Amino acid sequence: MALSTSDLKKLSWQLRADLLDMVYQNDGHLGGPLSSLDILNTIYFSDIFKFSKKSPKPTDDNFILSAGHLATALYVVLAYKLYFDKKKLATFSHFKSILEGHVSTTVPGVSYSSGSLGQGLSFAAGLALGNLLDKKNKFTLCLTSDGEHQEGQTWEAAMFASKYKLKNLINIVDHNKYQIDGSLEDIMPLDDLAQKYISFGWTVKEVDGHDYKKLLKIFQISKLSNYPTCIIAHTTFAKGVSFAHFDYKYHDLKNLDPTLYQLAKNEISKHLN
Amino acid sequence: MKSVNTSIRQSFGATLFKLAKTNKNIYVVDADLKSSLYLSEFAKVFPKRFIEVGVAENNAASVAAGLAKTGKTVFLTSFSCFSPAINWAVIRQSICYNNSNVKIIGSHSGLMSGSLGATHQMLEDIALMQVLPNMEVFSPADAIETAKIVSAVSRSPKPSYIRLVRPDTPAFFPPKLSFTIGKSQILTKGNITLLFHGPIGHLAFNLSNTKENSLEIINCSSIKPLDSKTILKSIKKTGKLIVLEDHQKIGGLGQAVSSLLLENKLAPRFIHLAVDNQFGRSSKDYSKLYDHYGIGIKALKLAVKKLN
Repeated sequence: MALSTSDLKKLSWQLRADLLDMVYQNDGHLGGPLSSLDILNTIYFSDIFKFSKKSPKPTDDNFILSAGHLATALYVVLAYKLYFDKKKLATFSHFKSILEGHVSTTVPGVSYSSGSLGQGLSFAAGLALGNLLDKKNKFTLCLTSDGEHQEGQTWEAAMFASKYKLKNLINIVDHNKYQIDGSLEDIMPLDDLAQKYISFGWTVKEVDGHDYKKLLKIFQISKLSNYPTCIIAHTTFAKGVSFAHFDYKYHDLKNLDPTLYQLAKNEISKHLN
Repeated sequence: MKSVNTSIRQSFGATLFKLAKTNKNIYVVDADLKSSLYLSEFAKVFPKRFIEVGVAENNAASVAAGLAKTGKTVFLTSFSCFSPAINWAVIRQSICYNNSNVKIIGSHSGLMSGSLGATHQMLEDIALMQVLPNMEVFSPADAIETAKIVSAVSRSPKPSYIRLVRPDTPAFFPPKLSFTIGKSQILTKGNITLLFHGPIGHLAFNLSNTKENSLEIINCSSIKPLDSKTILKSIKKTGKLIVLEDHQKIGGLGQAVSSLLLENKLAPRFIHLAVDNQFGRSSKDYSKLYDHYGIGIKALKLAVKKLN
């Protein structure tokens, strides 16, 4: 059964609570995982795409996480998908844990290990092309960060997807406007990202990346495109933890102050009841 | 030794075309060098299995890995000064860490690229590739061995790198000899061990062999995995070693063998003929470059003399 918009919303706060604990206990990335969480939640828990329950199946659609540092978000989603025991979330980045610090195929349901930015969209394009040539009716979804659009390879992939008319490829950009050392505006602005993708021959949609109703609609429309689709999801950096919103220092956490953790925990918990 | 010159690149293109006729899983991801790699026929006959990415080696490496994920055997083709040189970090993550079934074909390696000059004389490719976990590295001696190596890797699911060269080179690999991944072949018996990889090995056959002055020529085309058993056995017997390669001294076959020797408590008299920390330069005749950089026939003769 697919979850309704309100169920998805409710689940998202549970996922955020678990993500926060995982990152507080073990250190790790926070801003990007929290901004991309609603996108991942929609992909895996609506019935728009095929992602089997309990264990991934070869007939499932493909999901590629290009921005490997968003691993914590994908891990909580896959844990709630019951691909592995939720208890394992506490072992994030531990020695011999399946949950590597950056996203890894050691985790059931992960089909591409990454951490070095800019490569995932190319990999997803290769995968989409393979499926298209084999006449497999499968979609390949790729989640990229806005920061990794500074990598030239992303644009090589954009050209390639257009040339090979990869209508089964959907790239979702988590456009939270921050990267490790500051805002994109300061570090290296992307200017008109939508226009850039349009000029590369893609179908482009922009959406509020936390609005489930709109996300569902956009994903449904994307399946009908005759071209590769780029969904630019405008998101809030560290969504759900107000003090971290718009503060690039929360790109990743190290030794988060316990009082700040409690503050964040309380804020998220409010949504759980 | 008299021999005819044949094209390693042409052998690669023809072999892959032949294999692709029966193996429908063979795909090519090419970075705008199909004519140079003799893949025009492949592209014409199997257009759906020939993916042209243009001059974009980073994208090519990840696309190849993604394509391989759908169960295909993918040959990623370019010159070694572009792939694996430009896209090393992409190969590291997308191909090696993800253990993708991608075979990287790097042509125009070594000083043999001659007139094209330093930018195209890739002398660091083996260093770049053998350091990567999961990656296998091969350097065929001639056109005949190229065909055997390409066939062998097409049957393996592992990532690999095959080093090719630009010019036509002497055919000296015994046609009846088989190639096995991880095995070296002893081509002649003698009292000085000479290890080589690639077409440069033909120089060793130009030396006059006498009883006191004979080379045990071993073809190390399988650089990784390396046939340590055959290599160590020969060196234990001869106590004398020459490694000859058209590659940088650092990170090449010679260094791989050196650590193997120390780990096995062997200290033969050893001369490593390789390019020593320099870039190449243009010359229409690559043998002039071989002499200039100390890896030609003169240097080899001198090395043999020194060890006797």
